[in-house]
Amino acid sequence: MRPGAGAVAGVVVVVAALSGGLVAPHDPAAVVGTPFSVPGGAFPLGTDGLGRDVLSRVLAGGARLVLLALAGGAAATAAGVVVGLLAGWVGGVTDRLLTAALDLLAALPLLLVALVLAVAVPGGAAVVVAAVAGGAPLTARVVRDAASRFRGSGWVEAARGRGESTGAVLVRELAPALGPLVAADAALRFVLGLQLACTVALLGFGPQPPSPDWALMLRENLPGAALNPAGVAAPAAALVLLACGVAWSALSRRGVAG
Amino acid sequence: MSAVLDVRGLVVADATGRVLLGPVTVTAGNSEVVAVVGPSGTGKTTFVHALLDALPPGLARAGGEVRWRGSVVRRGRAARTWRRRETAVLGQDPAAALHPLWPVAGVVADTAAGAAVVDDALRSVGLDPALVRERRVRELSGGQAQRVALARAVAARPALLVLDEPTSSLDADAAALVERLVRARRERGDGPVLLISHDRALVARLADRVLALPGDHAPPPAVVPLPPVTGDPVLLVREAVVRRADGAALLAGVDLGLRAGEFVVVRGPSGSGKTTLLRALAGLHPITGGEVLLDGGPLPADVRDRDRAALGAVQLLHQDPLGALNPAHRARSATARPARLLRGLDRAAASREADALLHATGLPADHAEHRPARLSGGQRQRVVLARALAARPRVLLADEPTSALDDTTAHAVLDLLAARCRDGTAVLVATHDERVATRAHRSLRLTDRGQLIDDEEGPDRA
Amino acid sequence: MTSAPPLRAGVAVLARAGATAVLLSVVVFAAVEVLPGDAAAARTGGRADAARLARLREATGLDDPLWQRWLSWAAGLLRGDWGTSLLTDRPVADLVLPRLAATAVLTGAALLVAVPLVLALAWLVGTARPGRSRVGGAVLTALAAVPQAVVVAVLVLVLAGLLRWLPAVSLLPPGVPPLRRPEVLVLPALALALPSAAWGGALLAGVVADACAAPHVRDARVRGMPPWRVHRDHVAPFVLAPAVRVLAAVAAGAVSSAALVETVFGYRGLGELLVGAVAGRDAPVVAVTGLLGGLVVVVGAAVADLVALAVTR
Repeated sequence: MRPGAGAVAGVVVVVAALSGGLVAPHDPAAVVGTPFSVPGGAFPLGTDGLGRDVLSRVLAGGARLVLLALAGGAAATAAGVVVGLLAGWVGGVTDRLLTAALDLLAALPLLLVALVLAVAVPGGAAVVVAAVAGGAPLTARVVRDAASRFRGSGWVEAARGRGESTGAVLVRELAPALGPLVAADAALRFVLGLQLACTVALLGFGPQPPSPDWALMLRENLPGAALNPAGVAAPAAALVLLACGVAWSALSRRGVAG
Repeated sequence: MSAVLDVRGLVVADATGRVLLGPVTVTAGNSEVVAVVGPSGTGKTTFVHALLDALPPGLARAGGEVRWRGSVVRRGRAARTWRRRETAVLGQDPAAALHPLWPVAGVVADTAAGAAVVDDALRSVGLDPALVRERRVRELSGGQAQRVALARAVAARPALLVLDEPTSSLDADAAALVERLVRARRERGDGPVLLISHDRALVARLADRVLALPGDHAPPPAVVPLPPVTGDPVLLVREAVVRRADGAALLAGVDLGLRAGEFVVVRGPSGSGKTTLLRALAGLHPITGGEVLLDGGPLPADVRDRDRAALGAVQLLHQDPLGALNPAHRARSATARPARLLRGLDRAAASREADALLHATGLPADHAEHRPARLSGGQRQRVVLARALAARPRVLLADEPTSALDDTTAHAVLDLLAARCRDGTAVLVATHDERVATRAHRSLRLTDRGQLIDDEEGPDRA
Repeated sequence: MTSAPPLRAGVAVLARAGATAVLLSVVVFAAVEVLPGDAAAARTGGRADAARLARLREATGLDDPLWQRWLSWAAGLLRGDWGTSLLTDRPVADLVLPRLAATAVLTGAALLVAVPLVLALAWLVGTARPGRSRVGGAVLTALAAVPQAVVVAVLVLVLAGLLRWLPAVSLLPPGVPPLRRPEVLVLPALALALPSAAWGGALLAGVVADACAAPHVRDARVRGMPPWRVHRDHVAPFVLAPAVRVLAAVAAGAVSSAALVETVFGYRGLGELLVGAVAGRDAPVVAVTGLLGGLVVVVGAAVADLVALAVTR
């Protein structure tokens, strides 16, 4: 497999999820047919319990989840990289204090944290906060270990041996070497954000009906699953594709990084 | 004398069916020591594992058979039982092969049985059973752990003893112990010994017969001797003291002078501080006493205090070429950087210089665009060398530049270093490798007490 | 054989657990007491004038520094003063305690499935030949990436909707213990167990593979030790402590995820209570259920760390 193939697959599923709403044949919130009609005719995936087009709702129902997962994943990665670099590159007491603090944060059950926070703030904000609290420590640990290993590596010493400044060592040497590692890790943080966003949405603390949302659709269409299984199977397949596609890109990137 | 071990036409292939080794045929009688020699990379250890039917995943025996006391050792369960009951192997890193959590007595008894046997075995390798029996392997020193491994290998009086490069990782005393034990086995007629080694002196002393593995049989290339050097040293080290991180003195007053164009080798047992000496001269390890002079002027001890001229003058080749190259940088840009930084070339000129240097070190032209992960070990070493040369160093410090290379590549790298010497660069190489020593003007030895002395044995010109 | 370092490590484990519990309580405190805005205005329903609000704030200690408010809040909880539900006016303890058992039964049933599954998957994938091991690990990681909501939906769709083997909801009549109707436990237990088994299996498989690659394991094979002895003597001791930690994390995942699974199946456990309370902005119930669930996780992790220390030595 080409090294970039996984990353391309990851980007493709994310972009598809974000832009699917643009090609939806019907208004995702409009009642256009009889409830729970089976796939066929004007409705390739049938309709849901209110008679809305399942295909249109699936096409439009990923954008919010993906944006939320991107926000949570990006914030967790950014925070983790900053803290991990600080701990791994500076070392010593800074390292020990930061590592201890991260251990505490990582020990929190993040789903419970997200739910408890959802009582006070909107569900989306709770997801992002929990994704950062739960994800940043994992990223920080990966970055810390790599940075402290790289700090004593031959190529950093070689950079010193040709008089590179500390800034140049960080920007020219360390950042590109960490790149693949951080990219793979960011994909896993995205998956974590997606899982949290799904759970919070399915429990009803995210988008409210009639907005289309894959997680919400799972719950809405489950009672009529025997009448139109596609109502559940389609959003489930979309979520599996998205989560596994991104996770797979992380695995293949990690393979390159060694 | 009839053969106890009889190996016929052994062939090893990888998963794609490519033959890596063989066919190898060897026999050994009851009190024979048979040496298996060959340059590194010819699969000496693979031969041992194929013989024992213990090849790692991805390799398989593609042909041949092994007979033990006249009957074929069938592969699989029968071979496993044979290994357990009749053989013992002392591997290349014997201390790492011991169960880290078990007490010494348990480790030794894993193959042998009975407390008396364990105690005898420990005594035979110079360990006091009362002191070490109950200690865990990870609580022992490296030398003690090596002796425990040796004790385990001899405890059960194995009918077949296989020693895989016994002198490359053992300290000098343990290596001498191995020799004594092998001689004792031969006198008692305990069974055959297979000795895998590239240490010609050891093989000459111990082996009854020598089996040269097929493979790279090209004779060592004719080495053009380097011209003699004269003049004042470029780099002069006086009474240098270097300490370990724990404060213990590692180098206690080292004196060394390197003339322009001189090729000097430093040898010495593992852990004697060869690498640290080179790192200290490169400014990467603190020097706590004495002085280092470059062209008669003081050279700052810390690399961060050195100016451009001093940085460019002294360059270090790290031991592990993969670790010495940034995984994200391509060969060309890695090589161009020192030329830009230390010699002030512009981007285009530095890039041309990099291509020229990579070409000179023998890297295929299209590989200049590759990152280290796509280069072979020898190619990486060439890039590391080209990068160091891009600084136009007057002194080149090289740490085991050939340790991971096969014969042909090693000689190519050594040719490159010798070529720099002819151009007036002083080269100091720390190594175990006798292929390097034959090239040098002088050979020095770091003693256990941290002194640098002229090597009494001299370069091995055998 | 107790020496100083294990003892110190044990103390460190307990200290870390204590600190995590404090952090957890701060998060919960922030969510239920600080973030929702002015509690005094909320309590009077926005009908009070400024002067009355100020009196109320002083009387209830709302003007105190945050850390004092947190301290008295936490002390109240520790004394068993859990307050009353804003929605039902019933004491929180009366709502929470009956549900503890239901959630314990459900997560216990889930772990009965998850623990053997994690161990079997990890051993299968971890001890496979390197190529297969990598593929197996990748498959497990991909499975672990699937959101739990999907697992729940697919299980219900297939086992209840299409095959009609099991009930799609686990609504029990009041007073009927779940163990009397074990069929209602199967789907929620599977929904809890499968994702965490994939996740834990992927994690532990890596540990097993690393342990198998250790030089002394390779050496034991060369010495002709039979596979079962290699695994028992040379691999298992190095997997034991990580396995305890991974299993604790799997259990923690099951406890956290109970909120989702119980809600979807209508199973009256602690998680369903928490979700209902969050939806109804019932802060006292949210605080107690969230803290209780979190503390179970924290204590479980600490116990696992202590066990891991004891088996490592």
